Amino acid sequence: MSREAYQVPTGSQAANPAAVGKSFDAYGGGAAEVGPQMQYLCGDCGLKFQMRRGDAIRCKECGCRILYKERTKRMVQFEAR
Amino acid sequence: MAPFVKPSEAELERRRTIQINDETVTNISSTDFPGHYPGEDNSWSFETFKNTFRVEHHYLTPAESSFSLIGADAAIANALRRILISEIPTLAIETVYVYNNTSVIQDEVLCHRLGLIPFTGSKKGIREFLRWRRKAEDGTPGPVYDYNTVQLRLQVECTRNPSAAPDEREPTKLYHHAHVYARDIEFVPAGRQADLFQAPEDIIRPVNPDILVAKLRPGQVIDLQMHMHKGVGADHAKFSPVATASYRLLPTITITRPILGRDADKFARCFPRGVIALERVSAAEANTPGSGYEGHEGEKKAVVADPMKDTVSRECLRHPEFEGKVKLGRRRDHFIFSIESTGQWDSDELLLEAIKTMKKKCERLEKQVINMVR
Repeated sequence: MSREAYQVPTGSQAANPAAVGKSFDAYGGGAAEVGPQMQYLCGDCGLKFQMRRGDAIRCKECGCRILYKERTKRMVQFEAR
Repeated sequence: MAPFVKPSEAELERRRTIQINDETVTNISSTDFPGHYPGEDNSWSFETFKNTFRVEHHYLTPAESSFSLIGADAAIANALRRILISEIPTLAIETVYVYNNTSVIQDEVLCHRLGLIPFTGSKKGIREFLRWRRKAEDGTPGPVYDYNTVQLRLQVECTRNPSAAPDEREPTKLYHHAHVYARDIEFVPAGRQADLFQAPEDIIRPVNPDILVAKLRPGQVIDLQMHMHKGVGADHAKFSPVATASYRLLPTITITRPILGRDADKFARCFPRGVIALERVSAAEANTPGSGYEGHEGEKKAVVADPMKDTVSRECLRHPEFEGKVKLGRRRDHFIFSIESTGQWDSDELLLEAIKTMKKKCERLEKQVINMVR
């Protein structure tokens, strides 16, 4: 690829025409542009809400931009020592 | 062979006293074994032991007890102490299965804290029904059954308290479950445990329900299951049935020359309260020539009231006015034990159990010795 043809990848699909039609979405659930729903926690107000790929990274209630993923539901075993 | 020599009472007294001097401790080793003193029979005999050995109880509560073993060797006393700390089995949390923990305390730290919480329950159930969890043949932890495992659960979620006052600052009032206590841990009976460990008396429960395990804020969750197994303190301190089990030797204070008047007051203040009492010099004492009390009738004099209360701080040895007037020491064969139980065993049961364990160990040793000479 020549230097001129290279484009800095961005989150927006429109800015990267080469990627249009291809999906990097490993989950493959639903439309490629939307992605699966993920649970997030607001870092400020603690609200739990769902977000999709491409959604604005903001809390739906307070607009805080710091979001946390939920802890895995997988069981972890420890010795009480 | 010449008949055995009997040492004088004063000599015996000297032998069983450890001398505490102002900067040294002398005469620390016991010498009552055969061959140390020529011509004396110091062989151990069960008859003498039976006649001289005594146990004195000082106080007893389920949580704490104190007693004296008098006439025993340090080896016996120390063996008992070590068995109390590390060889009496108790039940404690051993594995923790964390499903969710969003509190600020890390999983590992939380599990460690849970392990150290002392639990209690039906004594019959814990001692007779519950057994060791055996290892499988390949060394992995063995299977889990109702007779070797006790299951517990801790599920707490912190929520806001809508009825709290608007200007409330106290987290425990602002939120529900802001503090997670040991009492939030639930017992999950399995198999026959339901009959053996019945509420309220026999259920598996923390000894101290108010132990703070973690602190939460709204939205934070702790959800975990625990398995308890039997273990011994040698494996981990959480299995130790005692908080402390220790002994000290009985202090002795000997006033060799009279301490009178203001010196007596000062002398009493060198010791914890109750160790030294003040008495008046009687007429009879004042009239005895050579007693040191001549012409001091009616004056205060220091007498030893209760040396057991002494902490052996040696404060009295620092003052020149008491020089040569007092001797401090400890009785070599008088062990003042203090046992503080964590709650699974009562403190008096602990001593009996320790003696039982020691007997078992001696029997095992006896077998080995017999095998050795065979």
